[in-house]
Amino acid sequence: MSRRDIEKLWESRESESLTNAEAAHLYRRAAFGATSGEIKAATNEALGAVVDRMLDDAVSSEGAQLEKNFQQMKSVVIAGNIYTQLPAWWLYRLIHTSRPALEQMVLFWHGHFATSAAKVQSPTLLLRQNEAFRRHALGSFTDLVMDVSRDPAMLLYLDSATNRRNRPNENYARELLELFCLGVGHYTEKDIKELARAFTGWELRGETFQFNRFQHDPGEKKLLGKTGIESGEQAIEVIIQSPQTARFIARKLVRYFVSDGDDIGDDLIEPLAQSFRENGFQLRAGLRKLFTSRLFYSELSIGRKIRSPVDMAVGLLRTLQATTNTISLAESTRELGQSLFFPPNVKGWDGGRQWINSATLIGRINLVTKLLGPETTFKAGSSEKIDSAFGVQNATEAVGLAESLLLARVLNGKQKSEVVQKISSEKPERSNLLAAIKVLATMAEFQLA
Amino acid sequence: MSISRRKFLAGTAAAAVVASTTSVPRLWAAANHRSAHFNDQRILVVIQLSGGNDGLNTVMPYADDVYHRNRFATRIAADRVIKIDDYVGFHPALGGFGEMVRENRLAVIPGVGYPNPNRSHFESMDIWHSAHFTPPHRTGWLGRWIDEQAAKDRQTNEVNATAQALRALHIGDEPLPLALTGLNALVPSLKTIDSLRVASDELVQAALKMESVGAAPADLLDFLQGARSTALTAADRLKSIDVRQLQRTGDYDQSGLSRKLAAVAQLIKIGFGPRVYYVELAGFDTHSQQPDAHAALLGELGRAVRAFHRDLDGTAQAENVLTFCFSEFGRRVKENGSRGTDHGTAAPVMIVGPKELPKMSGKYPSLTDLDDGDLKFTVDFRSVYSTILQKWLGVDSASILGDKHPMLDFLG
Repeated sequence: MSRRDIEKLWESRESESLTNAEAAHLYRRAAFGATSGEIKAATNEALGAVVDRMLDDAVSSEGAQLEKNFQQMKSVVIAGNIYTQLPAWWLYRLIHTSRPALEQMVLFWHGHFATSAAKVQSPTLLLRQNEAFRRHALGSFTDLVMDVSRDPAMLLYLDSATNRRNRPNENYARELLELFCLGVGHYTEKDIKELARAFTGWELRGETFQFNRFQHDPGEKKLLGKTGIESGEQAIEVIIQSPQTARFIARKLVRYFVSDGDDIGDDLIEPLAQSFRENGFQLRAGLRKLFTSRLFYSELSIGRKIRSPVDMAVGLLRTLQATTNTISLAESTRELGQSLFFPPNVKGWDGGRQWINSATLIGRINLVTKLLGPETTFKAGSSEKIDSAFGVQNATEAVGLAESLLLARVLNGKQKSEVVQKISSEKPERSNLLAAIKVLATMAEFQLA
Repeated sequence: MSISRRKFLAGTAAAAVVASTTSVPRLWAAANHRSAHFNDQRILVVIQLSGGNDGLNTVMPYADDVYHRNRFATRIAADRVIKIDDYVGFHPALGGFGEMVRENRLAVIPGVGYPNPNRSHFESMDIWHSAHFTPPHRTGWLGRWIDEQAAKDRQTNEVNATAQALRALHIGDEPLPLALTGLNALVPSLKTIDSLRVASDELVQAALKMESVGAAPADLLDFLQGARSTALTAADRLKSIDVRQLQRTGDYDQSGLSRKLAAVAQLIKIGFGPRVYYVELAGFDTHSQQPDAHAALLGELGRAVRAFHRDLDGTAQAENVLTFCFSEFGRRVKENGSRGTDHGTAAPVMIVGPKELPKMSGKYPSLTDLDDGDLKFTVDFRSVYSTILQKWLGVDSASILGDKHPMLDFLG
């Protein structure tokens, strides 16, 4: 790709306003979908203002009340010490949060610094880690890595709690380089051994981190070609200052928010990586750059991602202003390959095409059918009131609305009339909108984010 | 889940009847006209041990002092080892394997690895799956085998959607393994048979018959449409099985691997179709507190594999099933300070088959001639693949692996 093309794709559209389809795309990718009202509001403002509001720290009074509810539910999970309820707790939070873009980033970091409740098992520690992700999700990556390296759940998950001076345990050191900061091929086996030494003595005392100087190897460590490193903190600084770390994180954000495919080259990622190097690795600024870029609304992005199970379910519920039994939803997303707090391994969820196989594809169709059924409560009230609440008069309008809110790509005329015919020729459903969604969910297009 | 499993297993014996009357003769006919030497009914079952299985504590060189000196907290005392010969033996939890070795139906291939070993779980797993050494790893060795079979069928005009969709099957809740990914191959992956049942909603059932025509980036949509039609084909094939005649046999325990292999045995017995079945057993990344965890995993493995082959013994398919167990790497020779072991290199591969297999095929790697604390591999894993492809599946391995590799002697 030419330099000119790359510059063009990274031009900011912050002073422009979005079309309906573009606004729906932004909300689907960054904030678990939007209602028609949110989309309309977004198109009446400059994109910069929309994104700033999305990423803003300010908490509304409604948000503060919700936060109280989330904390209350959290204390129930902790008091009962039932770690299997963690996914349901988070799903509830995702469905109801007033800050969905923040939660999307918390989920991003959960997948990045993957820590599984299957091994850690303590709701207290896992929820503490979850709050740490929330605290740093839009802040500084350096602070985030420092916190994660001392995070008790992580120490347990990657065995650094037993990293002793005489017998360093390489597990955390390896994953910090391979999966959290640099990526395969950007460090040596020797670097791993040296880094493991720097982390000796980083232990747990009960449920809190402690530095045990008696177990710490105080000798000099050499890492990534740098000398004179003694402590774990110094080692982290060296890793984060490596130009590769900014590239690695930028690449991962682009994969998460823009495109599953490999067709976005390093040269196109570079401007985002460079902005991290220049702004002290501030995540909010990087995301603002991404969400206001031409790239984000280009052919390289639209329809180029496969929905995650959580994105699909939470997005559908938020779009329809509905809520459901999250214990049952947690079980469904688990069967579809995404159990929150239970990532499959330290690499997190691969995402993209890995979400899809015969069983999960049929499972997705079944989940949508279930979410439109009696376990779900709609703000509009009973299902016969839904069409009028969404301003839908007939089957054609229902298909049009469902398409604009939920599909990444518009259907062609033939497809659309087939769907319209399906829902009008079937025995009368109580809501055309819900019937339309049921039918659309069986199509391959529905899986695109 | 136990209900769905019972329903499914209650269902599996029935199709034995179907298999013996219809699919088998058809397959025989195909086998006869294709090759006089190879039997097209042969089936490969792959068991992936995920996380990096500690090979030194699976098949341990119990008679070697160097082993005991390096494994202060994790070693197995010589008197507890199930001896294979006067140098090596199985972990005591692998009684099932010991039994099968005595019956000459299990071969250990020690020291399997590859040049310039990668110690990342993910990279090393991708290397084993793809048999390619540099990313991006796009296709797997079995996926390429499926592609090749499909191309052959097209030449002989034996195109059959069900056969295409069911050449291989992955059972488990992990994502589809790269090993089964081809350029065209679409392999179903399921947790249980019930996961292929579509909700009985009439509107949904009707909608499934609709064709999608692309309004999206072609590659992604092609992929999704292919996956959709594979799913619906496999779902239809399952619907056609008369579940009332199926019943569970065999002496399996309740472990996850036993459940998966019991399902594989049922599907094999009814002639469901796939020639490759793929299952995984995870948890081998034993950086700390290894002894109990590792013993539990090996116990699960040995019991499940023994029950699986016992289950097939005496059936028409017993002669046709070969099981292959591997892990992405072994562990360091020297244990760490957490009663565990860190990522290493070469490790043993186990093959279980119907008949005369050598107990040991190849030389155990030296415990003193090491590469930075790691074993040097003695057998390239691509030689194992070549041997399986040529001598078991009856195809030219060079076209699939891209190169010729020396054959091993475990299949004669």
